[in-house]
This record gives sequence, C-alpha cells and structure tokens, in this order.
Amino acid sequence: MTCALVGIGRTEYYRNSGRTTLAMATEACRGALADAGVDARDVDGMLTYQANDSATPLEVSWALGLDELAWANAMVGGGNLVADCIATAAAVIEAGMCRAVLVYRSLNGRSGLRFGTVDGPVRVGGEWQFSAPHGFLVPPQWIAMWAQRHMAVYGSTNEDLGHIAITQRAHAGPNPHAVARQPITMDDYLAGRWVNEPFRVFDCAFEVDGSVAVLVVGEELAADTAKAPIWIVGSANSQSGAGWVEWDDLTCMYSRTVAPRLWNRTGLGPSDMDVALMYDCFTYTVMATMEDFGFCAKGEVGDFFAEGKATYGGDVVVNPHGGLLSEGYLHGLNHHVEAVEQLRGTAGERQVLDARLALVTAGAGPYGGANVLSAERP
Amino acid sequence: MSVVDADIPPQPEPNPDTVGFWEATEEGQLALCRCDQCGTWLHPPLERCRRCGGPTSYQPVSGEGAVHSFIVMHRASVPGMGAVPYAIVLIDLDDAPGARVTGRIAEAAPAEVAVGARVRARVVGVPGGPFHQPEFVLA
Repeated sequence: MTCALVGIGRTEYYRNSGRTTLAMATEACRGALADAGVDARDVDGMLTYQANDSATPLEVSWALGLDELAWANAMVGGGNLVADCIATAAAVIEAGMCRAVLVYRSLNGRSGLRFGTVDGPVRVGGEWQFSAPHGFLVPPQWIAMWAQRHMAVYGSTNEDLGHIAITQRAHAGPNPHAVARQPITMDDYLAGRWVNEPFRVFDCAFEVDGSVAVLVVGEELAADTAKAPIWIVGSANSQSGAGWVEWDDLTCMYSRTVAPRLWNRTGLGPSDMDVALMYDCFTYTVMATMEDFGFCAKGEVGDFFAEGKATYGGDVVVNPHGGLLSEGYLHGLNHHVEAVEQLRGTAGERQVLDARLALVTAGAGPYGGANVLSAERP
Repeated sequence: MSVVDADIPPQPEPNPDTVGFWEATEEGQLALCRCDQCGTWLHPPLERCRRCGGPTSYQPVSGEGAVHSFIVMHRASVPGMGAVPYAIVLIDLDDAPGARVTGRIAEAAPAEVAVGARVRARVVGVPGGPFHQPEFVLA
C-alpha cells in the first residue's frame, strides 16, 4: 500500500472518565493532528468502529471545526474491525476519495457499557437467544469455552495462559499510559479470582474509558509531516458468520486464514517481525493467534512466553505496551498506536531495539484482521 | 437486547426463523432447523439452507451427545442464574452433526464435567417467562 500512519493521539485512560465519548474522541483526534503536524483542515475523511456506544464521525468532525467530510463511516462491531479500519482508510485514500483519514475509537468501556457482564434482566434475540436463557451471553464466556477445548486437545494449561498475562504485565511496568503496571507472579496469577473457569481476572482485558486516534495519509501528505511516517505494508481480514458456538475448530481463530493471506501478500513471515501487537481481549486470544500466525507450534505458546521468547531479547516482543490486558482495553486501536511508537523509535523505556517491522492483529474467534507496518517505505 | 423488569434470566426473543425451536421445547422436545433438501443442520436456524438454498423445517433430535467444551461459572455475569458454581457446556449432538448447542449441566458438580463426556438433554422451563430450554445431564 502507499499510505502511512503519521499521527497518533490519545486521552488519559480512565476508570470513570466523567466525559462524553465525543469530548474524548475530539481530544484524541486533535492529539493525532498535532503529533503529525497536520492541520485539521487537511482532514477530509473519518472512520470509527463501535457498538452503538460512541460519538459518530460527523459529531467528531464538527467538534474539530470541520464543516464537512468527503467521506465518513462508522463500522458496527468490535476489535475485529481495527485492522480493517486502518486498511480501509488507506484504500479510500488510494481510491482518490480522500487525502487524510482520521481513525478513532472512543468509549466509556469501564464506566458505561461493559462487554463482560449483563447488568439487568434483558430480552435477547438473534443468535444468542438460544444460550442467553442459561446465562451464556458475554465474551469472557465464549472465549473461555474455546480455551478449554485447546487445553483438552493440546494439553495447554492455566499456567500457559498465566505466562502470557505475567509477561504483558511486566511490559506495562515502564508504560506511563498503562492502567495496570504492578508486576504479577505466577502465584498472583493463580490466586486471581475466577471470572469464568478457565479464565481468571488476569486473563481478561482491563476495561477502561478513553479514546485513541490514528491519522492515515497518502504519500503526498506523508512527505511533509512532523515525524517519520510509518507505512502500511499489507493487510488481511477474515470475517466469518460461523459464530462462537458453531465455529468448527475452537483451537484456531480467524487468524488461520488471515496469516497465510497476510504473509503471502507481504512476502514476509513471523520471523521478520520485531514487534507483535497481538489482540488480547483475553490471554487465550494471544495463544491461538500466535500459533496461527506461525510464531510457534500448537500447544507451545506457554513455553514460548515462559522461556522469554516473547519479550526483549527473544524472538519477537509481544505487546510491549502491556496490551489490552495491562495497558487498557481501548478496543484494540491502541495496538496501532504502540506499533507507531515502536517503529518511530519513540517508545522510551519500552523501546524494542531496532524495531523495523510490526505485526498488528485485531479480533478474536471467527473474525478479525491484521496489518504489517514498517518504518521503511515498502 | 431490551430490558425486562425482574431479576430473571435473559428471555429469548423468537423471530419467524427461530420460533420453531421454542415451539418444540414448549412440547418438551429438542428440535433443530434442517434443510429439507440436502439435510444440512442449521443452528442458528435459517429460513432457507445456507448450502443449497432449499426450504427448512424443524426436526426432532434425541438430545444425546458429547461435551465439546465447557466453562465453570464461579460468579454471576448474567442475571437470574441462581447459585454458583455451575457448568455451561458446548454439546456436539449425535444426530445433528455440524450443529452445536449450549446448556447448563444439571445434577452434577462442575468437577465431574470433562471434554468428551457423554450427555443427554432434557427440557426445562426458563424461570420468569413462558419459555423452555434444554439442559444436560451426564449420561
């Protein structure tokens, strides 16, 4: 592709923001523009993904002082759409429809609508009407069901999941943006309360309020930005309607299709990646997708983390910001923000030495996507 | 999802494609949507088969099957579920290959549940409303 990520912005990550998603999105977008040294009036496209829980591109663009946009869209969905949002912004630019697209996510994910629980009695239609009446309804349950299957088929263990949580928490330590920076041991992990077995509290993303934004531009604008552009090498998606109950093999995710698609498109492979921003709504998502992307064989992810291959000095640094587990659940767009920091070489204490290529994944279960980003123009 | 007014389990909202499932459970029967033409089991149900486009109807199944996977609830994340802990199972049904259903395990402690365990379904009422659903006992 011929587009680059040239600006990143974010709000503080809060437990209770007391702010509207509009106010937070506007702050994050202004941050991305200032970071890029691009004037708001150069932005002619805006894109977000949301679950009826956030300000729309029209509201945010108006708040930024723009009278209109040449293109705007709000995809309905979750983390599965993050990679696609970045790639779609690039595709819209390459199609000549826009010059600069702001991609943002803004949510009160802790104080407002939470994805892990259902607070009141409800009526449920659609595919979940069959399992909602016996209480099978929320994402920690779906993905724990998949994790248990992986344990039965490949012998993975709670401790294997624990090594993922422990490594990412250690990474979050020096990250000033992270909400959970206190290191944890295996004893701490195993003493964590059950959310739903086999998931403990440390297996689950740390829900927060906040917003992040990324500015995507074409090569013309990228030639004159404040910081080095970070280029999109390639993108792939796999969005399946199979669902969480009917998906054939719970030990693999969308990434079983996305990985070969992405590696074929880019001519790259897992061993080329310096940094891997692996979508981690839950630890098991990291496990299944690390296998699918070819970082290790089935059933070996626990050892991969335990032996230090997923951290500094290992094969690839996984989630140096702490991920959604420890930096915070900005619904996955914060992975692209961290990839930009790492590839610019501006990640401070958590900088991965000579980071040139990053894999950024997004999604879980039947649906998701991934991008490869590069410090050099492809 | 819309709100109802008591501390009861989520209530299903049938639609024209799914109502046959709930009509069968009301009769104490577990039945799943199946293509009349090519025999594909379709769960969640569809008006027409996703494989061949043929018409579909609800066919009874025995309710016997095996645990594909399971989770154990140690705290309530959904209202109206009663005492913890309890197991929720994902079931491969013997006579509906390719379709899976979920349910709670009854009459057994969560520790007795394992992947591969044999189960059979029975239909019970959903508290707080007119609906019935399958639950599973270890066979």
